[in-house]
Amino acid sequence: MEDDARMARNRAPESVHPARGEPPALELRDVHASYGHIHALKGVSLHVSHGEMVALIGANGAGKSTVLRTISGLLRPRGGQVLLGGSRIDHLPPHRVVALGVGQAPEGRRVFPRMTVAENLDLGSFARADRAAVEADIDRVFRLFPRLKERLRQKAGTLSGGEQQMLAIGRALMASPNVLLLDEPSMGLAPMLVESIFRTIVEINRQGTSVLLVEQNALMALGVANRGYVLESGTIVLADTADGLRNNPRVQKAYLGIA
Amino acid sequence: MMQLIQNLVLGLLLGGVYALVAAGLTLIFGVMRVINIAHGAFLILAAFITYSLWSALGIDPLLAILVTTPVIFAIGWVTYKTVIAPIRTAPMASTVLLTFGLALVIEGVMGTIWGNSSTAIRPGYANESFTFAGLFMPKAQVYGGLVAVLVLLILGLILSKTWLGRAIRAAATNPASAELVGIKVAAVAALVFAIGIAAAGAGGAIVGVLYPFVAGAHYQWIARLLAIVVLGGMGSLNGAILGAVIFGVAETLTAAYVSPSWATAVPYAIVFAVLVVRPQGLMGSRLREDAVAT
Repeated sequence: MEDDARMARNRAPESVHPARGEPPALELRDVHASYGHIHALKGVSLHVSHGEMVALIGANGAGKSTVLRTISGLLRPRGGQVLLGGSRIDHLPPHRVVALGVGQAPEGRRVFPRMTVAENLDLGSFARADRAAVEADIDRVFRLFPRLKERLRQKAGTLSGGEQQMLAIGRALMASPNVLLLDEPSMGLAPMLVESIFRTIVEINRQGTSVLLVEQNALMALGVANRGYVLESGTIVLADTADGLRNNPRVQKAYLGIA
Repeated sequence: MMQLIQNLVLGLLLGGVYALVAAGLTLIFGVMRVINIAHGAFLILAAFITYSLWSALGIDPLLAILVTTPVIFAIGWVTYKTVIAPIRTAPMASTVLLTFGLALVIEGVMGTIWGNSSTAIRPGYANESFTFAGLFMPKAQVYGGLVAVLVLLILGLILSKTWLGRAIRAAATNPASAELVGIKVAAVAALVFAIGIAAAGAGGAIVGVLYPFVAGAHYQWIARLLAIVVLGGMGSLNGAILGAVIFGVAETLTAAYVSPSWATAVPYAIVFAVLVVRPQGLMGSRLREDAVAT
């Protein structure tokens, strides 16, 4: 619980509630998705307001990554809508979604292992036309992750797990996203490193990027997020403020290891 | 000793030609997991186009590469858009059947246009040789090998130094991650297919100068090219080049010291031996990471 309290101090500021009528940065309305005959999402609705950090927690196989795949366009939903700033994006291919301002650091990091750190970051800005602003974003990534600057010429595959996670997030930021999707950033990392990464995620959010954070590590995720959703078997079963979820007996029992 | 050096050099030059063509095949496989059985047919098609340019217009066949390669590139792009794209994500067996059918169609078209008799491109230097320090080098093989290496170098520069090359390598490593950074993988795939076919086209122009050919010769070529790519490791560009050099040298040395009739068999024995020890090929690796990911 000590960790818990420390992370609470690191929490992102309460989101500024948008004027009534302004569409959220990202919204899913009754999204259904399936792989073949497996009905993976059964009507998922959630939203991320501008400047907000939202956690999506749930067990392995609950459909968390599928939610992200439907947002990024890797998987076309069978029903429902995905809206970015009020405009539908659920029919768009991934490269268009990136260009519209959704950056994603995929699960398992998925950097390009045979390319250097510099090449990976460069590829992050592939979809952009504003080449001049790209330089500023590289500096931003270096300020957030000074380690990446030291490793610039190194092949990404030779980085440590934590460094690869930094690179994956840095690469996503190079697209200059309004909404950042993070898929299990804590996976496979030592607790110290997880804390450091989460501090940086909070910093990114403070700088104005809305974040949808998908995590199995519910304690960490609810420690930094403004709000959260709990996904079970492809359905949102709980939606509340992060504090509300942390004090919810059901969440405590199932996801926080508190009996 | 001089003769051995001569045969080694000739083998390396031949390997350069094989490398260029095999590079196209392995690139296509690496990015889209399509085994292009029609690769040899495109090679022979380029040889025929080169033949027509040479016999009708008197253009030097090796210079004609500047014309044939863009033409074959365009044919490759159109082929991709009309034939390959609809089944790009289908199981590999479907793409093998499809490209095999494509090879048969191209063979038929070539037979209709150019006939089924043996065709040879014989520029003025076809019967000339360089001789120095006791070495005896047929000019066509020297020019052909050097042109092949030059084109291969250009291909390598495109892959390593340009945005397109970076996008191609990203798409080959992990298509989903490539999409997530904003690369239009479908468009990259079309370009890669066209580039791969163009490499076969450039190789075909050279091959047409080195050997007589018929429309049906594409069967021998695809067999040899697949063996080279498997020897090097499917999808590995460096592997394909290494495999091609081994093939070229092995064929040349066997023809010189054993018998020309064994020249086509010995390289396959090498492939067999290598695969027993290294089933993934010489430089094969798990290039793609997401094959089983959901």
